[in-house]
Amino acid sequence: MRTRALGAALVLATSVAQAQSPEALAWLRKMHQATQRLSYVGTFVYQNADRTETSRITRHAAEDIEKLEVMNGVPREIVRTRDKIRCYLPDSRVVKVDRRVDRDFPALLPDQIPQLARHYDISLGETQRIAGLECQTVVLQPKDNLRYGYRLYADIKSGMLMRADTVDTAGKSVETLMFTQFTPGNVTADMVRPRHEGKKWRIEDAGAVPTHLAGWGLASELPGFHKVTELKRRLGESRPVGQMVFSDGLAAVSVFIEPLESRPDRAATGLASMGAINIYTREVANHMITVVGEAPAVSVQRIADAVEFRRPPQ
Amino acid sequence: MKDRISVLMDGELDDRSAAQVIDVLATRSEAGGEARDAWRTYHLISDALGKSRMLSEGFGERVAAALAAEPTVLAPRRLGGAREPRRWVALAAGVAAVSLVGWLGFAPQQPPVQVAKAPTPLVPKEAKPTVVALPSGTNDYLLAHQAFSPRMSLVGMAPYVRTVSEPAREARR
Repeated sequence: MRTRALGAALVLATSVAQAQSPEALAWLRKMHQATQRLSYVGTFVYQNADRTETSRITRHAAEDIEKLEVMNGVPREIVRTRDKIRCYLPDSRVVKVDRRVDRDFPALLPDQIPQLARHYDISLGETQRIAGLECQTVVLQPKDNLRYGYRLYADIKSGMLMRADTVDTAGKSVETLMFTQFTPGNVTADMVRPRHEGKKWRIEDAGAVPTHLAGWGLASELPGFHKVTELKRRLGESRPVGQMVFSDGLAAVSVFIEPLESRPDRAATGLASMGAINIYTREVANHMITVVGEAPAVSVQRIADAVEFRRPPQ
Repeated sequence: MKDRISVLMDGELDDRSAAQVIDVLATRSEAGGEARDAWRTYHLISDALGKSRMLSEGFGERVAAALAAEPTVLAPRRLGGAREPRRWVALAAGVAAVSLVGWLGFAPQQPPVQVAKAPTPLVPKEAKPTVVALPSGTNDYLLAHQAFSPRMSLVGMAPYVRTVSEPAREARR
């Protein structure tokens, strides 16, 4: 029922929103500001076709620290500070550390919001009540089938995003993130500290550094997706991989390149999905290529099929 | 404030005023945000006029041509002359209009795609990809990828929940 309503709303949105509505762009800006400005504690639900998971998110705005705790199953935590992301996995006593190589990237800056209109029709939808708050809907309808659409629901008062649906080209929701409870303010630094002390834990540092992956590239870029960064890093315990990231300003697709000999096993060629994430794996020039993106299967596969290696001139 | 940012960018602000402007740029307040927006906008304009590679070919020329109708704006700087409000401010409105028009012109001419239409395959085998299980270490890929999603700026770190999900963890064992 909801799917049908969603589809109908999207069709409606397309028909009325050929021109970008300045109000809708203003709402995106308002959401962006709220995400940066507010301290809060909230419970949210992640849902895709296969499963539902509940998590708690705590944000301390003054220090720009966010903590995400998964409430189901084994307790897992992710703490994001300004330049680092630490992922605490208590059952294996591992802390995965990922540094953000460029602090400003890949933030969607307020002055880049109007550029999204190149690939999406952006319009206002109806208002709806979520977690007890009256919310404004903003619909991002993709202009082609190479990217997903989004329905974003923002609290009218604060601008905080309370729900985000990722919608496929048929109008079906593939993934939903939704707050079921949201309390702004009164967050102390203690509340965003990791619950687990990782002293005797194994630290897996990705050691990401920007680089030029000589010889690697795409035979042809996917329309609207441009390369935004290129780096080398380690995956898992220590596998060295190259990573190229392509983005249309909202969605991103990563291409991971790893030598076959450093892989623990031979991955099967083909497509795997998990909610809005599609993963396509294939081999190119003795390397395993794994393309991971929050984009429709066709986009992820087209990028994977375009990956090529040209021996750089000696 | 915007005038002073513009003058600062031209390296013509005295040290004390420059320090004040930089302080404002560094604050988290609303004024700081506005100042940073102006800073970015003026740099964007300056990049555009300097034929930044980010823009399509000929953009600079087109902007220059459009601005040729406003000779006073593009007039050479008077050496040692009285300080005027700098050009970045003056250009902002003009360039905004030009870039909007230009942008429409540069936008890829993609016909609207029917929602129900099947994707055009690049090669025939794309029609039906082999469906496989999630690769081992899916969470590691997701963790590495997630930080680069621009969408984070709108939704915060909520999508990170995918990177520690149980089913994907099972796959690595």
